Amino acid sequence: MTAGKESRTAHSVAIAQSLAQSDIDALLASSALWDAPDRVSVKSVTGQTPEDFSHNRRFSVCFLPSGVGREWLGGLTRLDCDTFVECSSEIDFADLAPLIPTNGGRSHALSVCMSTRSAYHLPVARKFVTALRHRGLIAEKIAATVEMAVQEAFANSLIHGNLELDTSGHLSMDSFTELGEETKRRLASSKHGARVILLTARRKKNGHIVITVNDQGNGFTPPSDSCSTAVAGRKTTFGRGLPLIKSLCHSVSFSRSGRSIELQFDQDKADLLTTSDIFVSELDGNKDQAPDTDIRNPQNATILIADDTMLSREIIASYLRSDGFTNLVFAKDGEDALDQVKIHNPDLIILDIIMPKLDGYGVCKAIRANPDYAETPIIAQTALEENEGRTRIFDDGATDLILKPLNKAELIARTRIHLENRLLVKQLQAYQERTRSELTMARDMQENLNPTPENYRGTGIDYGLRISATFQMSSELGGDMWGLMPIDEHRLGVYIVDFAGHGLGAALNTFRLHSLIWSDQLHDREPGEYLENLNRHLKGLLPIGQYATMLYGIIDRVESKFTYASAACTSPVLGNSLTGQARYLDGSGVPLGVVRNARYETREVPFTGANFLLLYSDALIETTLDDGQFLSEEKLLSMLRETIIESKSEIDLAAQIADQFMDRAPAQLADDFTIVSLQSTPIPCAI
Amino acid sequence: MNYKTETADGTTKVELSGRFTFGDHSSFRKLIEEIRPHGSDTYVLDVAGVEFIDSAGLGMLLLARDEGEKTNTSVVIRGAQGQVKRMLEVARFDTLFKLED
Repeated sequence: MTAGKESRTAHSVAIAQSLAQSDIDALLASSALWDAPDRVSVKSVTGQTPEDFSHNRRFSVCFLPSGVGREWLGGLTRLDCDTFVECSSEIDFADLAPLIPTNGGRSHALSVCMSTRSAYHLPVARKFVTALRHRGLIAEKIAATVEMAVQEAFANSLIHGNLELDTSGHLSMDSFTELGEETKRRLASSKHGARVILLTARRKKNGHIVITVNDQGNGFTPPSDSCSTAVAGRKTTFGRGLPLIKSLCHSVSFSRSGRSIELQFDQDKADLLTTSDIFVSELDGNKDQAPDTDIRNPQNATILIADDTMLSREIIASYLRSDGFTNLVFAKDGEDALDQVKIHNPDLIILDIIMPKLDGYGVCKAIRANPDYAETPIIAQTALEENEGRTRIFDDGATDLILKPLNKAELIARTRIHLENRLLVKQLQAYQERTRSELTMARDMQENLNPTPENYRGTGIDYGLRISATFQMSSELGGDMWGLMPIDEHRLGVYIVDFAGHGLGAALNTFRLHSLIWSDQLHDREPGEYLENLNRHLKGLLPIGQYATMLYGIIDRVESKFTYASAACTSPVLGNSLTGQARYLDGSGVPLGVVRNARYETREVPFTGANFLLLYSDALIETTLDDGQFLSEEKLLSMLRETIIESKSEIDLAAQIADQFMDRAPAQLADDFTIVSLQSTPIPCAI
Repeated sequence: MNYKTETADGTTKVELSGRFTFGDHSSFRKLIEEIRPHGSDTYVLDVAGVEFIDSAGLGMLLLARDEGEKTNTSVVIRGAQGQVKRMLEVARFDTLFKLED
């Protein structure tokens, strides 16, 4: 298979399980993806949903199922993959191919290509922007604006481009109804419905983000720039798209005879910084001009001497020169010091505290406010002997303190030690890189404590349940864990755990608890008794002050009930899978590991063929969302209700809620996020 | 987009929720057909639960207004927040509708 004179480029491809092999082969062999498919070797991995693919594996392309659904759209944020393409024999990519640019082409940070028929019913623009945000390509603060512009461009390309529908002028209800019918007909037709829409995003060197939306319609002549960009008015019912886009972007341009629109967004650098601190943003702008300081030898170091008296500057300089330090720069007051830092990016700063314009405290603070100078050693020289001044200068960021009058040997010793430290810091950073890769391994191990998708889906089927779960670890190691424990033919145990805090400690605790849970074979006890027993064991293992919240419950399919006990877990949600109505169950109880003889009440609720159960960690309800608020209890219930009502087909409830949460949550979560849904399947399990 | 309607004392209140975009063609048409026979004096479109609206959604609000004009029914848009509020402002819908907080 790998025969051939020239080496082939290897690509991993994530493939939706429902796709026919013939369609997959056809797409791989065509020149839709790569301009020379014969020079590519493909390793494919299939999955039923995006959850099935490893978080740590990188894919060149993901084949979305024909007739893409919401769950696959969620893959945009979950998969480490830059190109998503719907695989369907009906699609002709024509001049949009190849979707993956080969060397020389401009590579995309993200591209999504699907049929009009699929795209029409999906929140593509929203997911696309969420994915860009989570990939760090656009700043959180411009995301809302980008989404509005992309939504309009996407709608235009779909409706006017691919579907060739005319919505100009003022519409009446009758023509609106007719428009709806025509839309349906065209979506169903091969000519219009199978046309593709392609969204791409890339980042320019200047930091601007460029998003293009490409269609396969007849193209149009873009209006000249002189045309009005007024969004207001009632003359037109639907004609606000383009003026709106223009008002939201840095610039808009067209190509492919109007079948591609390119939107540019200015990620104003100042926006990413705290704009109040002018010094910081100025420094940032000048960063490229600052000399690149690679100080292998301390003697080559650039040292800034900031002191308002010339005599002091000269004394310090002569001491340093005598020891071989010759790259010296000077500042005569606080403001001058900041200017010199900006120009020279020194390796070490010797700073006087009492200076005109801006004192040493202010200089320290301003320097430390810029992440680029977070590690630069600052030696503060002062005649102040009182403790207050010393404490304060350290608080403001000084590395060390040296007393006036200066002692030559001491000054040189301290200078040397801090420059050497700086070298060590750089080495330490390399070491941290290595530690980070070990942490990645620990993360993998922790993820493996949770059941895999095949595992929980399969177990679910045995009990007449559709089980779905999403787990996302915070930037560090975390303390979340969940699992399933089959008890007998008709009873399934389920647990969800959240250890306080995160980091290595919390992760180790999850390992402790995991082994406790799985070493104890008596899972069929009453949940209350089970937690009491677990708590006694855990209390003996956990250091004081560490604790966990946990829920353990048993779904009984014969007696149609859910019995559970909770140790301060988030309140589980019990709902109806048909109407979407749901309510919170009582989640109160003492956390695990707090007191040895904690009592846990076993609670019981009916759980029939029409019920679903949702368990989640507190990150779901304690993360600040884009509206500046937490997801309220009420909002979660309405989200569940709407998700159930809107989905005509069967859905993975947890995955759907997680997707909606990710749309609105910051890219970096502060805490682990776990959500698990157990939905009764319509047909009760056959025994 | 989902909706819930409620009529009392000559006022039809419609609570809209979710995302209101070009794809909501048919649910919007259903909504208009549903409230038309009520013969109310006022339609209150409560958009507090709408989290995102695009220009097509705005167009559909205009259609509701046209529908209202035919039967002398005034249309009020209530509770716009966040992105929806921003869109209504950009399109100067305050000149076309009665907007309430």
